[in-house]
Amino acid sequence: MSLRKLLAAGLAATMFSTTAFAETNITWWHAMGGQLGETVNKIASDFNASQDDYKITPVFKGTYEEALTAGIASFRAGEHPNILQVFDAGAATVIGAKGATIPVEDLLNENGVNFDINDYIAGVRYFYADADGKMIGMPFNSSTPIMYFNEEALEKAGVSAPKTWEEFAETTAPALKEAGYIPMTQSHLPWIFTENFFSRHNLQFATNNNGYDEGVAEININTPEIKAHFTALKEWKDAGLFEWYGTGWGDNQKPFEEGKVAVWLGSSGSFGGLKEKVDFKFSATLLPYWEGVTKEPTQTFIGGASLFAMAGKSAEENKATAEFFQYLTSPEVQYMWHKETGYVPVTEAAYELAKKDGYYEESPAAEVGIQQLQLPAGEWTKGYRMGFYVQIRDVMNREYGRILTGETSVEDAFATIEKESNALLARFAKTQG
Amino acid sequence: MKRASFSNLWMPVLLLLPQVSIIFVFFYWPAFEALKSSFYLQDPFGFSGTFVGLDNYFTLFQNAEYLRISLFTLVFTVCVTFFSLALGLLFAVKADKVIRGASTYKTLLMWVYAVAPPVAGILGVSLFYQGHGLITQLFAFFGHEFVIGVNYYDTGFALIAVSIWKQVPINFIFFLSGLQSVPRSIREAAMIDNRSSSRRFWTITFPLLAPTAFFLLITNITYAMFDTFGVIDVMLRSEPGNNPMTLTYKVYVDGFRGGDLGGSSAQSVILMILVLALTIFQFRLIERRIHYT
Amino acid sequence: MAVTDTFSTSPPSPAVTTKKRFRLKRETVVDHAILILGALFMLFPVVLTLMTSSYDNLAFARSGLQFGWSDQFLENYERAMFETSGFTGQIDGLSMLKNSLILGFGFAIGKIAISMLAAYAIVYFRFRFATLSFWIIFTTLLLPLEVRILPSYEVVQGLGMGNTYGGLIIPLIASATGTFFFRQFFRSVPEELVEAARIDGAGPVKFFIDILVPLSKTMIAALFIIMFVYGWNQYLWPTLITTDEGMFTLVRGIKNIIQSFTDSSSVPEFTVGFALTMITMLPPVLIVIFFQSWFVKGLTESDK
Repeated sequence: MSLRKLLAAGLAATMFSTTAFAETNITWWHAMGGQLGETVNKIASDFNASQDDYKITPVFKGTYEEALTAGIASFRAGEHPNILQVFDAGAATVIGAKGATIPVEDLLNENGVNFDINDYIAGVRYFYADADGKMIGMPFNSSTPIMYFNEEALEKAGVSAPKTWEEFAETTAPALKEAGYIPMTQSHLPWIFTENFFSRHNLQFATNNNGYDEGVAEININTPEIKAHFTALKEWKDAGLFEWYGTGWGDNQKPFEEGKVAVWLGSSGSFGGLKEKVDFKFSATLLPYWEGVTKEPTQTFIGGASLFAMAGKSAEENKATAEFFQYLTSPEVQYMWHKETGYVPVTEAAYELAKKDGYYEESPAAEVGIQQLQLPAGEWTKGYRMGFYVQIRDVMNREYGRILTGETSVEDAFATIEKESNALLARFAKTQG
Repeated sequence: MKRASFSNLWMPVLLLLPQVSIIFVFFYWPAFEALKSSFYLQDPFGFSGTFVGLDNYFTLFQNAEYLRISLFTLVFTVCVTFFSLALGLLFAVKADKVIRGASTYKTLLMWVYAVAPPVAGILGVSLFYQGHGLITQLFAFFGHEFVIGVNYYDTGFALIAVSIWKQVPINFIFFLSGLQSVPRSIREAAMIDNRSSSRRFWTITFPLLAPTAFFLLITNITYAMFDTFGVIDVMLRSEPGNNPMTLTYKVYVDGFRGGDLGGSSAQSVILMILVLALTIFQFRLIERRIHYT
Repeated sequence: MAVTDTFSTSPPSPAVTTKKRFRLKRETVVDHAILILGALFMLFPVVLTLMTSSYDNLAFARSGLQFGWSDQFLENYERAMFETSGFTGQIDGLSMLKNSLILGFGFAIGKIAISMLAAYAIVYFRFRFATLSFWIIFTTLLLPLEVRILPSYEVVQGLGMGNTYGGLIIPLIASATGTFFFRQFFRSVPEELVEAARIDGAGPVKFFIDILVPLSKTMIAALFIIMFVYGWNQYLWPTLITTDEGMFTLVRGIKNIIQSFTDSSSVPEFTVGFALTMITMLPPVLIVIFFQSWFVKGLTESDK
């Protein structure tokens, strides 16, 4: 740090100290690395600049898993932040621990901030809500898996982006292979090809209302539709129509960026990063579905993470948190976040603003995620709620990896996933009692 | 043990106080907590829980994956221990023999002792990088498509190779100092009795090194089971996936990543029992060593 | 053959000696070859990483580790040391280096001080519960921190010691390796010394400070090096207990390097990461090389 900067900082500190008596400080732990983290910092500093009463400090805590672990540990030690970002797989743990958080709906109502769940876009309304539909976590970085494609590659192969998996298998993939490309990769098998496989085809994912209702839920994974999907995936891989580079997200995204892979299934939130890194023309479209399973494909789940207001804080700090949430969900901030990162705007008003601004005319791919979340809903598309879900995902990743490397059969793998997941769910139920 | 001693009432208590209090707070208390929480299933936030008796243990023994990880840990430990001991011994014997450049060789073969396991892991990541890692290319040259993070055996190989690399120096140091403490008279007698240097090694030198080797055996087993955490975490890049892992890494994955306090604690207790057995074995060996000499 | 016959009759055969010398020489060549291969085996990964850290990120992204030398060396190391990163903007190589030094020194000094005192009590004092304290202390040799990691973490968090130097260092000290080491050494100190001291009227404090500590100098130095390296190289514990970026050590920072390698939202900073890896490795390696004889002595004495 240069001397001038140091002096400036000192000056700022003395200036602040004169006004600080009225200011309420709150902290926000998040897991947004790289370019996403910079956007988070921008939101925070804009909020701080927009008023004089509250000051928020965002702190990066590593991966989603690490942020959750750090949040839990700090709660036990009584040193927790006001706001904790929790990812989709950790939702059950946090929502299950009833005294740990203040439901966002209550927080906002108590602090005089208008709250109407219908202001939020359909796909995000109930994912972080309890069984009665009360919103517990504030949806923040919401994304959904979509299909990116290299336009040059598709053109060269003379095909268009596939709408269904049947089309992909029969037409798109062979043509892309012929044109010298690896037709497809994806970056997250449990998220893209399991959870969202169930929502896209409107299939029940777990008993007890996808796990939302009381009682011990069981996962519905050992079912013919998804097994058929993985059987196809393994066949495609053997035929050179699909490639898998391991469980790491980036390992599967990289070959797409390098132009070796024509189609990549990733997060709508990857849009901002891709735009910066890739030098070919690419676009995106909805996640394909199996026509053989459904003729009326439904919307997908949101992924990403939400913000939880943690309990045990003073009324002033809770008020500050509520104010920040209000700021965060304002159309302008949501639109900025959407534009910078590719995550979907969580409110209807922000989506309208983006449309009115003509954003989607200039980059239509940015609208794909939100379009997919606005598709018709089904009985099983509002979300799922399962405890120890981080471990359940680990089990899935392990078994899927074994299927794709030929170490196990689809039948055995799904039987194992079912058995281990149900054991984990039963164990989780006991931690809650 | 006969030793002239001071007798003072409060002085030894005062001297022991720092060590004993640290040990109680940071050793006995956590060890007791691990034992206790292995009998519970607990909500990570600490709001609720159920006493489940030995269920956490039964769950582990019925879990095919836990047994598979145990098996990998065994293979991993045997490979790392055997190869790092063998290489350490080979280099020590040669470094003991040569006259020119002996001290240079010694330095060059021991400095890796100071490299942290996760640093070794990063070197491993770059050497085994998918597609263009140097060793990956070497395998490709011999017709094997080596893909770390995809192929279970490839990943296991990379973990073992890096762990061996990190462990050779300490074995080298101990073997070399063991060799150099062999009395000159024995060496010279051996030279006369036995012309063949390999026979001389196996009949004279190796038995003299046996106590060092026993000690190192335990050290290496402990290293392979616990200290390789850094190598594994870095090389798997914190994504367990379908990759091999050791029991210690599994404790971390379930406890910290998954929030399963009871299951993770039960695994800790199993490891404690294992180490306990190993250490008792070691103490008995040391006792016998004292009888030898 | 006639020629052979004539030669075999002449007693000290020159052919045999040359043959023997040749064989000896060949053996020496093989010995050196093995040692050179061994040295290369140890050096190779590090040298490659060092060389690659002089390139730009694209070089590694395109073709992996590099043989050769490029012009980005200074820039990469400067960025690794001084560029603040993280999201609090308060973390750079320098601050991690500071934390690593605090951990290394704090751990080594704390451990030596505490275990010397304890070993002194055990070896030189006759008191009740002596055997009990011995066992209380030496049981800790049985369980490495890794197997009681989760409850240790809970205990330290519960004491409010997360993200503090105390929480980082003290739990690592809770094992008896140092005490064991000094116990062995003190027992090898001639008994006559204590007798003489007592005759001179020296009390336990005076004996400890004036006689035992000076006698133990080499041992302290040796143990210091081992413990410094051990403390510096800690990974799992710092990873768990420091979540505040300002508290990260260099070795803890490795986790962030590897995360940046896999981060998909921007081009990974490979070569700066390698530069930081080299910086992480250098201090303990240099200490071990320069204080080799002490270090080897300490290491090999400790098992006796």
